[in-house]
Amino acid sequence: MSDSDLKNAYKQNKVGPILNGGDVAQAAIDAAEWDNPDKDITVDDKGAYVRIAAEGELIITRASMEEALGRHFEMREIEIHLGSMAGQIEVTPEQIRFYFEKTL
Amino acid sequence: MYQIPRAEWYDLTRATNWTPSYVSEEELFPEEMSGARGIPMAVWETYDEPYKVTYPEYVEIQRQKDAGAYSVKAALERDAYVDRADPGWISTMMAHYGAIAVNEYAASVAEARMARFSKAPGNRNMAVFGTLDENRHGQIQLFFPHANVKRNRQWDWAHKAMHTNEWAAIAARAFFDDIMLCRDAIAVSIMLTFSFETGFTNMQFLGLAADASEAGDHTFASLISSVQTDEARHAQQGGPSLKILIANGHKEEAQKMVDISIWRAWKLFSVLTGPIMDYYTPLEHRSQSFKEFMVEWIITQFERQLVDLGLDAPWYWEDLTKDLDTTHHGMHLGVWYWRPTVWWNPAAGASPEDRQWLEEKYPGWNKTWGRCWDVITDNLNNDREDLTLPETLPYICNMSQLPIVGTPGDGWDVKDYTLEHNGRLYHFGSKADRWCFEQDPVRHQEHQSLIDRFLSGQIQPADLPGALAYMGLGPGEMGQDAHNYAWAAAFKKQAKVA
Repeated sequence: MSDSDLKNAYKQNKVGPILNGGDVAQAAIDAAEWDNPDKDITVDDKGAYVRIAAEGELIITRASMEEALGRHFEMREIEIHLGSMAGQIEVTPEQIRFYFEKTL
Repeated sequence: MYQIPRAEWYDLTRATNWTPSYVSEEELFPEEMSGARGIPMAVWETYDEPYKVTYPEYVEIQRQKDAGAYSVKAALERDAYVDRADPGWISTMMAHYGAIAVNEYAASVAEARMARFSKAPGNRNMAVFGTLDENRHGQIQLFFPHANVKRNRQWDWAHKAMHTNEWAAIAARAFFDDIMLCRDAIAVSIMLTFSFETGFTNMQFLGLAADASEAGDHTFASLISSVQTDEARHAQQGGPSLKILIANGHKEEAQKMVDISIWRAWKLFSVLTGPIMDYYTPLEHRSQSFKEFMVEWIITQFERQLVDLGLDAPWYWEDLTKDLDTTHHGMHLGVWYWRPTVWWNPAAGASPEDRQWLEEKYPGWNKTWGRCWDVITDNLNNDREDLTLPETLPYICNMSQLPIVGTPGDGWDVKDYTLEHNGRLYHFGSKADRWCFEQDPVRHQEHQSLIDRFLSGQIQPADLPGALAYMGLGPGEMGQDAHNYAWAAAFKKQAKVA
């Protein structure tokens, strides 16, 4: 990236979780697709962590996680795998939401 | 049994402010500890933590995290990965543990300050968990390296480093003391949890985990990524503080706190994480360059977060983006050259293949730092190791406590940013380092860098052996070249073939 690219690198609106790998990360990718049907979900797998992202807002519901994992899942369990996140976060027992207040 | 959903009782149970009757509010929450900045209690009660956790939930989740990290360690212990790992990777772990582990306890103290003194009940509640988190990080990052103390005395520096006057330890303490131990609760929430933990810890605990995983060190990868999952939660304490400060006319001060913390973190990471990622990690296991990790986590992700919360990019942002190509190369050269003064064995990372990679990632590297390494390589190949070892000490910045570095080669541009204050001449490695000092001179003015101590006669005998003794470095602890100069010998072989 050139210096001017770096200056503007923050002008993007990608939000979403950064999860360490394993079945929960895989399930979160599926859940992100199902819970945000009108969004293009991008997945960047770095081995030790997986970046899942969408424009502006990304929601992952407990119901979709259960469907993808085929087992009972409490939303808070995602914390075991959630190393970081792009955007602000809002956690309820039924869903986790990543979002930006402003669109750049 | 029917349980009332958490959302219906959480706000009520953590509404723990009351009107004190035995003491005044000022006595209960002294300003220097609480940092309410004149904003009334009722406003702090609107602090809404985005990541809500109850104690039973916390315990259950943390138990699972620990079970994960400890079971990976137990399962791989007999594999004795450490005995066959590349020496550069061993140095990565040693540098990491020494610089980080004991500071986690300091972070626990900082979290405890919020837990006791923040006027925001939500902050206090989350900080209780933060205190426990950081205690866990201190313990686990001492327990893991302790298994290796039998292998080498340098491993003992996981615990020892922060209790010495070794120069990198002084630099790390100077930074962490500033943002964690000598600030009020609200400043801690912004400078530690928001600035440092949503920003830089990602570099050291996720970026480095990617390299660890590439290097086959699954124990270390699972350990540090487990630590970062706690950070991801408790780092969320700063956002609501920022929102309250900005809404109540304190944007300028909030911005200043973020700017100081980010700059100081950047400098520390340029000497710790930069060399680790671009030089110590074996070439075939480098998942990205240090600059690429910085762009991913700081320049793109963190700056975007700042803007969303209503702040601006720090005023020095352009300087920082330029320094991504330079500072850590200078720091690495310095650490390697002064290798007896560190508790790990720096890997030069300057073999022919390494240099090709560096040139690709940092165009112009061969014409600048490469020329210094040319001289070092020639000296080593001509049996003049003595010329590659230090006899004096470098000039040190009075803010970062790190060497003042520039870019070598034709455009040699090292610059000492000086400041005269109360009759004392201070030296800084950059405009931003000097600016950090100028924001609060009283806070920093008495501090003496290692060189100041040397010049004032506190280090005796006043020579390199005296300095090494002052730093607590004994035989078997002082750093040596990680690969016993095999990388330099590779050039000799090349020359013979030619």
